[in-house]
Amino acid sequence: MDFGLPPESVELAEAVREYLAGTHGPDVLRRLDAGGNRDLRIWQGLVEMGLTGLLVPESEGGLGMTLLGGALIARECGRACLAEPLVDTALIAVPWQIARGETGDLAAIAAGEKLVALPHAANPWVADGEGDEFASVDPLRNLVAAPEDAGDDPLLLDLGALTSAAQLVGLAEAMLDQAVAYAQVREQFGHAIGGFQAIKHKLADVAVALEFVRPVLWRAAQAMDDGLASAPLHVSHAKYAATDAAYLAAESAIQVHGAMGYTYEVDLHFWMKRAWALAGAWGDRNFHYHRIEDAALGGAHPLGPQHTFA
Amino acid sequence: MDLAYTPRQQAFRQEVREWLAAHVPAERLVTLERQDGFDQHVAWERELASGNWGMVTWPSEYGGRGLDLIEWLIFEEEYWAAGAPLRANQNGIFLLGPTIMEFGSDEQKARFLPPMARGEVIWAQAWSEPGAGSDMAAIKTTARRDGDHYVINGQKTWSSRASFADWGFGLFRTEEGSQRHKGLSFLLFDLNAPGITRRPIRQLHGDPGFAELFFDEVRVPVENRIAGEGEGWKVAMATAGFERGLMLRSPGRFQATAARLMALLREAADRASPGLREEVVRLWMGAQAYAYNTYQVAARIMAGGSIGAEASLNKIFWSELDRAMHRAAMHLLGPAAELQTLPDGRANEWLEGYIFSLSGPIYAGSNEIQRNITAERLLGLPRVGAG
Repeated sequence: MDFGLPPESVELAEAVREYLAGTHGPDVLRRLDAGGNRDLRIWQGLVEMGLTGLLVPESEGGLGMTLLGGALIARECGRACLAEPLVDTALIAVPWQIARGETGDLAAIAAGEKLVALPHAANPWVADGEGDEFASVDPLRNLVAAPEDAGDDPLLLDLGALTSAAQLVGLAEAMLDQAVAYAQVREQFGHAIGGFQAIKHKLADVAVALEFVRPVLWRAAQAMDDGLASAPLHVSHAKYAATDAAYLAAESAIQVHGAMGYTYEVDLHFWMKRAWALAGAWGDRNFHYHRIEDAALGGAHPLGPQHTFA
Repeated sequence: MDLAYTPRQQAFRQEVREWLAAHVPAERLVTLERQDGFDQHVAWERELASGNWGMVTWPSEYGGRGLDLIEWLIFEEEYWAAGAPLRANQNGIFLLGPTIMEFGSDEQKARFLPPMARGEVIWAQAWSEPGAGSDMAAIKTTARRDGDHYVINGQKTWSSRASFADWGFGLFRTEEGSQRHKGLSFLLFDLNAPGITRRPIRQLHGDPGFAELFFDEVRVPVENRIAGEGEGWKVAMATAGFERGLMLRSPGRFQATAARLMALLREAADRASPGLREEVVRLWMGAQAYAYNTYQVAARIMAGGSIGAEASLNKIFWSELDRAMHRAAMHLLGPAAELQTLPDGRANEWLEGYIFSLSGPIYAGSNEIQRNITAERLLGLPRVGAG
């Protein structure tokens, strides 16, 4: 029994965080928003870091990491509000294809030559597919109509939900950081507003929420890696809790920014809108709640302290 | 990350489970906030000690088993799953014990820890004073040096367990005229020493769980001081960290409450509104999240890390979770919530638990203080106006 995160995955996630902080700041989001939405140079940078091959077996030219390692990277994608379809391709499609024994595309995906966006019955659209566009509230999200024969494969749904939860956690962490940074410098009544308890306590509540979502996310990822029968319950728990934490972080962050937060000029809105979008993707809050209720209240899942890791 | 228990850990769980099944009292004990219930709980402490289960993580020389934090979590999970009683000596074993282990001399460890683990000496804490609650650095009670003794004068209040306990620990002003965090020392004292008057305080539920303590020229030997003279604040902060952190409130307690709450929801399924139903399921999720978080912190500590200001996040989370779980139960019970004894003859543990849960966000440093600590030390917001 060891709930510690694997050091090599943490190190890689930190390197990705640093790389994205340096190359994918708010100025990049604004440039993409102004036109184009996608930038091959950003994609190429991700490929060069090996991220497209994160979950691809080493024999196919990838890094062969676990879903837990993938969740750590998805969180960094959220933190940077990355718009490139890395998560859909490398963290959803790859493990799904591996589970189905479809290895034909893996080398091309790892090499960054093939992008995959899979439809699912839970989503009325496909993010980053080819075809007619829906307009998302998120200006950097490209939605196309889902094919009518989109399947409802449960593993695919769990992969999408897990990685959405991870991105939501990263988005929420970034929004908290932005609110803290603003509260440290914005002065009213002769003080930085972060010195006022009304602001402190609001942001402390976000910190508490995040502290108790992260381990749920890691647990869900590990449950999928371990192939636990209860993994869907844990994935739903992670998605539901990450959704609530992200909404809380967004609403708290805009409130701390005051009128500035209600403008397009402050960076916050990119993160907030991505959070709203992902909250409804790959099973919304209602769907995941019902899955949790059915398992935990329905009696199939054992309750009580002696069943922590059931 | 490896979320499977080793065969050795599984065998340990089985051993704990079997011992508890054979020893946990069949009848629920009377509340430990009353003398008769307190005596029952002290007897349980001694029963636990007879099986060497008093404080499993302590080294064997002090009456423990030298177990690691995972084994401690397993023990706690089984303890609460078995419905075992509350720990009368929690101030001693979870707060003072770790403090003595970190700051005490070898002589103090040998003198105080084994009787604590054996349940022979029950400890009360004496932090707060009438003018020093959340602002603990405002304490005024003095301990004047007189040769190889300190002479204590002043008043402590809201001292948990002090109505019935044997010994107390707390902070006292040992440097005359000192201000705030300076000039304080951490002293241990016999609650039956001449010059101490205990005035039990009736708590919200009507029983005298805590007490006021009046000190009139109370003589305490210098060897009862933990760490150096004037170093009391540092020691007290460490103790407070233990209180908010890992040990005092293990997840098993809240998971057991959550499981009972889910069972109550099933019984009341026809009456529960959809909102209350979702609230209960959410609270169960919260108890699970608290458990995962504790396992993660345990892994960090076992890998050589520590728990610092994050303890404040824990304290906010478990205390508000506990209150919310009991509040939900009150709503599920509906008109029966006010009854001391439920129509089926059982004591209304939910009512008792709800009343107790209201103290959680207050004791061990109010949650407002914890949110300040979180904002200032974890988030890096400026200290303005908090004093």
